[in-house]
Amino acid sequence: MASQTPAERLFTLTCCLLAAPRIGLSKQDIFNSVAGYSEANNDEARDKMFERDKSELRNAGVHLEVIQIDEFEPEVGSRYLISKGSFEWPADFKLSAEQIGLAELAARAWNNQQFAASARTALARLKSRGMVEVNRELSFLSPRLLAKHSAFEPLAQAIAESRTVIFEYRVPDGDAEAREVNPLKLRLIEGEWVLLAERQSTLKNYLLRRITSKVRETGATFSFSNLELIKEAEAELVRFTQSNRAVIHVDEDSEAWWHFGAESGEVEINYMDESLLAEDLLEYGSEVKVVSPASLAQRVRNGLERVARIHA
Amino acid sequence: MPKQEIDASELYDLSLSIVGLVLSEGDQRVEELAQRFSVSEKVILKAVRAITDSEDLTKCVTHFHLNFDEFEDGWISFAKGSTNLEGPPVLSKRQLSSIAIGLDYLASIPQFASNPALAELRKMLKNSGPVPITTVAASRLSDLLEQLQSAISSEKTIICDYRNQKGEQSQRKIDPLLIELRGKKHYLRGWCHINQEVRSFRLDRMQAIQITDEPIAKQSQVAAIPDEVFGSNLDEKIVVLSAQPEATEIFWNFPGASEPVLEKGRWVGKIRVGSLAGLPRHIIRYGGMVEVLEPKEARTMVAALARQILADTDPKDED
Repeated sequence: MASQTPAERLFTLTCCLLAAPRIGLSKQDIFNSVAGYSEANNDEARDKMFERDKSELRNAGVHLEVIQIDEFEPEVGSRYLISKGSFEWPADFKLSAEQIGLAELAARAWNNQQFAASARTALARLKSRGMVEVNRELSFLSPRLLAKHSAFEPLAQAIAESRTVIFEYRVPDGDAEAREVNPLKLRLIEGEWVLLAERQSTLKNYLLRRITSKVRETGATFSFSNLELIKEAEAELVRFTQSNRAVIHVDEDSEAWWHFGAESGEVEINYMDESLLAEDLLEYGSEVKVVSPASLAQRVRNGLERVARIHA
Repeated sequence: MPKQEIDASELYDLSLSIVGLVLSEGDQRVEELAQRFSVSEKVILKAVRAITDSEDLTKCVTHFHLNFDEFEDGWISFAKGSTNLEGPPVLSKRQLSSIAIGLDYLASIPQFASNPALAELRKMLKNSGPVPITTVAASRLSDLLEQLQSAISSEKTIICDYRNQKGEQSQRKIDPLLIELRGKKHYLRGWCHINQEVRSFRLDRMQAIQITDEPIAKQSQVAAIPDEVFGSNLDEKIVVLSAQPEATEIFWNFPGASEPVLEKGRWVGKIRVGSLAGLPRHIIRYGGMVEVLEPKEARTMVAALARQILADTDPKDED
C-alpha cells in the first residue's frame, strides 16, 4: 500500500477506533491496523506521531476514551476507543438553504486565522447535513469579525478547554486590578468584543479592550453547563442597555444628524457603556451636545480637555 | 469564499463531511463538492482518497468501497464497508463558537435582527441568548442596505451625495460591489467613477441614493476589492501615535506603517493617513487615550480642534 498522508492516517485511525471492541484497542493494536504508523523510522517517532494524532482528534471534537487496564504500567495498559456520542447529531438537526447561507456568512466573517479554520470545518460539517442548493442572496454582504486583541486567542482557547484564567482589568476612571475568571463565551457586540465569564459564582461581562495584561491560565479547570444562566446573563445585558438612556442634541443636516438618524434636533440613545458612547459622540465634535445624563456630558468634556492638554 | 489549499486537519475534517454527505444524499459530482465546500477539485480528490483507501490491516477489511465506474465519470460514489463511520462528529466547542460568534454578530445587524431562519439556527446551536441592539438609525440603515442590495444584485450604477471625512460634500457615481460590516461601521465598497478605483464609502455619509439604469462598468466587474477599508492615496502622511491598551484599535483602523510596540504600558507605532485634516476627530474620539507624537503639525491640529469643540459646546453659551 502507498504511504499514508497525515489526513489519511487520521481518517483510518478514526474508523479503527470507532470499530474498537468495548475494551478498546491497545497502542500496538492501533500501530498494527493503521498503515501510516509503519512509516515512522523508530518507536519514538511513532509514539510522537500517535500523540499528535490523539490531540488532532480531540481538537476536532472527537471524544477519545482512554481505558486503563494495568494501573501499574499506564503506558502499556492504556487502551483507546472513540465514544459514539461524539458522532451523534440530534435527530432533527437539518439546516435549510437559508440557514446554510447564514452560517456561511458567519464563517467567512473571520479574519482571525485559527478561528477562520475552525469556522470553515464547522461549516463543512453543517453543509454535510444541510440542503444542497446554493444560496446567493447573501453574497453581497460581508460582515467582518476583526479579532486582533491579544487577549482574544488565549481566551478562545481557555473557553474551548474550560480553563480558568487571570488578567488585569481596568474599568474607566479606575486602576487595573486582577480578575480570576472562568471564561464562557466571546461575543462581538456593537463592534466591541465582550467576554462573558463566571467570577465568584456570578456571571459578568468584560470588554476585551479593557484587559491590560496578558491572559494567563491559572492551571485550574472548571465545568459549567448551565446554558440557561448564560441566556439569563445575556438578557440582563439587554435590559441594562435598554435602561441606559442618553439624550443628545445634533445640528440639523450635519454628519451627526445622519449618523444618529435624527428626525428632530434631539435624539434618544440606548447604550451599553457610558464611556464607549462618549467615544462615539466625541467623534462628531461640535455637531453633538449632550443633554443628559450629566455624567455623560462631563465625561465628553473631560475627554476634550484631556486631548487639548496632552497635545498642548 | 476563495478556493484554497488546506492543511491535514482540515483535509481530515473534509473527508468526514464528504462521508456524511455521500451516505445521506447519495452520489455527488466532484465539481459540485468542490463548489459546496469552497475548495479545489484537487482537494476533493485528496479527501476522497483518504476515505476510499482507508483499511484496517489487522482485520484485513476496507472501510469504504469506491464505485470505480462512477468515479471514472466524475462522480464520487462509495458504500460503507466494514465501519461505523457515517459522517462528521458533532461540532467541537471551538467550531461551535466560531459559528455562534458570527451568528450573534449577524443577529445584532438590523437587517437580520428578526430573521426567523437565523433565530432558529441560533437555537439549534444552543446559542439563542438575546443580543443588545443600540445601533441608532436602525430603520434608515435597513432601508439603505435593502436599496444597495438591490443595486448590487441588478449590477446597476448608483448616484448619491457623499460627505468625505473632511466634511466636503459631493455627488458621486459608484458601481456598488459589496457591503462590508466592520463592527459598528458599515461600508459600501464600490468602483468610484471620479477616482477610477475601488473605494470605501461609509453608509452613514451617503444620502439621496438613486439607482440608475446604467449597468456597472466592465473594469469594476473584475476589480479586486482590497482588504483595507482606507484606500491608497498619493499624499499619504506618516503619523506616530501612542495609545493606552484600551485604544489599541486605532492602529487596526488605519493602514500601519510599523507594528506598534509596547513601551511603558502604552502602544507606540506609526500609521499612514490620507490627509492630516481628517485625523484629529479620530484622535479626539479616544478622549485622551491616544496621543499624536509626530508630526508636530498634527499635534497642533488635534489640540486646536479639541479647544474649538470645547468652546462651541460650552454650556455657559446657552441661554
